Amino acid sequence: MPSRRETVKTLLIMMLKRILGGVEIKLVIAWIFVLVVTTLLDPNRTYVTNPESTASLIWRNTVFLGFFAIGSAVIITSGGIDLSSGSVIALSATVFSSLMMLLDPDGFRDGEISRGVVTVALIGTLFVGAMVGTLNAWLITAVGLPPFIATLATMVGLRSFARGLVGTVTGNRSQIDMTDTALRDSLKDLTTVSIVFMLFAAAIWFLMTFTVVGRHLHAMGGNEAAARLSGIRTDRLKWLAYVIGSVSASIVGIIYFADQGSAKPDILARGYELNAIAAAVIGGCSLSGGVGSIIGTVLGCLFLRTVIDAVNKIVGTGADVYEGMIVGIVVVMAVTFSQRGTAIGRRYFVSPIGWASIPILSTLAGISFVLFFRDKPWFVGMHAVVIGGVTAGCLVLRSWLEMRGQKT
Amino acid sequence: MTTLDTPILSLRNIGKRFGGVQALDDVSFDVVAGELHAVMGENGAGKSTLMKILAGVIGDYDGDLYVSENRQHFRSTRDAEAAGVSIIHQELNLVETLSVSANIFLGRESRRWLGVLDKAAMDRDAATLLAQLDSPLDPSVLAGTLRIGDQQLIEIAKALSLRSSILIMDEPTSALTESEVERLYRVIEGLIARGVTILYISHKMDEVFRLADRITVLRDGRFVTTVRKQDTTAREIAHLMVGRELADFDHHAFDEPHRENVLTVRDLSLPWPGHSKPYRLKGIDLTLQRGEILGIAGLMGAGRTELLECLCGASPVPPHGEILVEGTRCRFDHPADAMAAGIAMVTEDRKRLGLFRHMNVRENISLCAIDDCATAGVVSKSSEIAHVASQVNDLAIRTDGTECPIDQLSGGNQQKCIIARCLLTRPKILLLDDPTRGVDVGAKAELYRLIRRLAGEGMSIIVTSSELPELLTLADRIAVMCEGVITQTFDREHATEQGIMEAATRTSIVSLG
Repeated sequence: MPSRRETVKTLLIMMLKRILGGVEIKLVIAWIFVLVVTTLLDPNRTYVTNPESTASLIWRNTVFLGFFAIGSAVIITSGGIDLSSGSVIALSATVFSSLMMLLDPDGFRDGEISRGVVTVALIGTLFVGAMVGTLNAWLITAVGLPPFIATLATMVGLRSFARGLVGTVTGNRSQIDMTDTALRDSLKDLTTVSIVFMLFAAAIWFLMTFTVVGRHLHAMGGNEAAARLSGIRTDRLKWLAYVIGSVSASIVGIIYFADQGSAKPDILARGYELNAIAAAVIGGCSLSGGVGSIIGTVLGCLFLRTVIDAVNKIVGTGADVYEGMIVGIVVVMAVTFSQRGTAIGRRYFVSPIGWASIPILSTLAGISFVLFFRDKPWFVGMHAVVIGGVTAGCLVLRSWLEMRGQKT
Repeated sequence: MTTLDTPILSLRNIGKRFGGVQALDDVSFDVVAGELHAVMGENGAGKSTLMKILAGVIGDYDGDLYVSENRQHFRSTRDAEAAGVSIIHQELNLVETLSVSANIFLGRESRRWLGVLDKAAMDRDAATLLAQLDSPLDPSVLAGTLRIGDQQLIEIAKALSLRSSILIMDEPTSALTESEVERLYRVIEGLIARGVTILYISHKMDEVFRLADRITVLRDGRFVTTVRKQDTTAREIAHLMVGRELADFDHHAFDEPHRENVLTVRDLSLPWPGHSKPYRLKGIDLTLQRGEILGIAGLMGAGRTELLECLCGASPVPPHGEILVEGTRCRFDHPADAMAAGIAMVTEDRKRLGLFRHMNVRENISLCAIDDCATAGVVSKSSEIAHVASQVNDLAIRTDGTECPIDQLSGGNQQKCIIARCLLTRPKILLLDDPTRGVDVGAKAELYRLIRRLAGEGMSIIVTSSELPELLTLADRIAVMCEGVITQTFDREHATEQGIMEAATRTSIVSLG
């Protein structure tokens, strides 16, 4: 039996190892790097001139994404995937507004909804979230569908269901507008939302890190068959994971409804499930299951939103168009660099596929430059050619070095 | 000793490091053309690493390698195959959803105009190759539908199609039944007669002494010696492998024959939906006494694993019949039910069904009993470490602390971790499905001692094994299965290999119809 002192020592070493070796510290460093670069490149110097509003904007977006990214992280860690969270956001916004509209039509019209009705609508919406999670879990455990297929079905199905719901409730309109501005303000109040988010994140972090359930979720994610043979009730665990995922998306649905002032299920949060998965992956969750970090996921959201904000600042107007590009690039970079030790030594451009990628990447770089900066006063078309050429030159050089390294 | 034979394969000062571990250190020896050269060593001795270097799986190593006196450095299996070296891995590398012939010619498919597959030609060539191995396999069936022994023949046929002059076989008999082993021996003898040189890695002394011309022993990544078979004994080889004398395993006497029954199984049957035979198991009657070790013998497919699965609630469909634990009738719908009733199982397929490779030693061991280390669902890490450390000490698991990744342990120590996981649930009945599979000689003896000690402490144990001598050593009684039926039960004094083999191949009296 180890002495108490040895145990404490082991625990300390474990903590240190986890902190230094984890994805979290890398994300913090990368995040600081992005902040520094943005401070230097931002023509309006908003980080310096207006730090408060910049910070609150980034934080707001981080929190909104964070809720359901945490849900995704739990599901991914447990060995599953949830494609339905974007649709659950849309459905929840619809259900929340419909419930208020149906329960208190006068108040809804006049913009003075009774607080009792709001409470019922809140609970009802979260309950709907839990129902969706249960439905996903049933499709996966009892019907036996792969999680990708099950949640693909609920993803397309529930959005369409929400659209039908809005049409029926409103009499063939495509959205439900919110008139109660006081309620809107209180629901989207950043301080309140932040506190709820921190509590939620802390609770899930605690669940995943310190509890029996968390340990079981990790075990199931890594080896489901072995977990079942070890006496773990895997079906119940999956239910829990998918309910956490869907309820977290429902919370976001309510906040988005308040934030946007309307529930438009045809476009609300479309494709957001992929941002949540991306944030979880950036935060160190492995899509093969069993490995994941809640703190990492929150940092992943912060990092992702900061990069998007940085590109917004540097590029200027209309930058939301490029959100997808940024998410795509960040995911590729994050996963590449988290493959420990191999990112630097790896050979990227030694095969025909690698060579073919050099002109593709260079063209992308050149054209992206045009897209980003075409409205800038200093922009000349020649810049893009130079950028493309320099990119190509660097990649060819890299390719040459790699092939030389391969020969010796 | 001088020899006129020139070496077909020479290794000179081969070394390989994985991080901080020196897997191979300055290994040099020669392999003579046309011989069967066995390479032996405990798990972790470096045999597999060495074979991976020879087969081009590991391209980055120190030292020199000569094939027919030409210096070679294989960077891929293709390089090795081009030089005439093929490997048959312990874990077979087949695409289960492709046909036999498609697997044999994978990557080297016969083509016709515009790259269209010439399936007929491949099937024809595959049939020729399989005929050389005396195998009547149909080249067009899917590889995944075949038994492991037949799947292995596909790999051998593939090596034949490559015209390999050197064939490396990594523990080829580890998953085979006795009859399949016999067939493999015939195939190997045929290959040797055709002039193929075979490097044969094995733990099993009897097969090495039957097949090998010379034996090379590795220990802790170093070359120990190469000896001719006729100049040595099994005992000496075992001694060279572990660097110490192995005590002969003394037979253990089950002294009190009339203790109470802990487990009674009456008329247990396991339906087999969607299959021509309606039952996987039929009419199984068993009793297990306190402190008894019951061995279950049977060829592959006899239903050993299925029986254990029924007893621990892991069967694909619920079994019929009665299971009584200490006189109480039980129904196990989930392994958790069986665990609650005091039954724990160590599975045969350690990699797929036992280990959590993404978790460390502590998490692997504590998993089943994590509730005991927790208050209100919150795990107390110090209590967990204490539980795990006591098991690590008790079972003498060789690990670099409780936080060591499970992958860094040898097969025997991984197996001990899984047994430790079961023991932490304080089971009354321990089910061990082929517990020494892929475990080296030294660790096997340790596992035997452990199993006996547990039985001595009053635990009732059911153990299956694909090796009869193991059951004869361990078990107090041996039940023999054939095609889902128990054909005979032997007491220890009446059990012989001969008798058990007869019972295991007996066409069942009870019809499964």
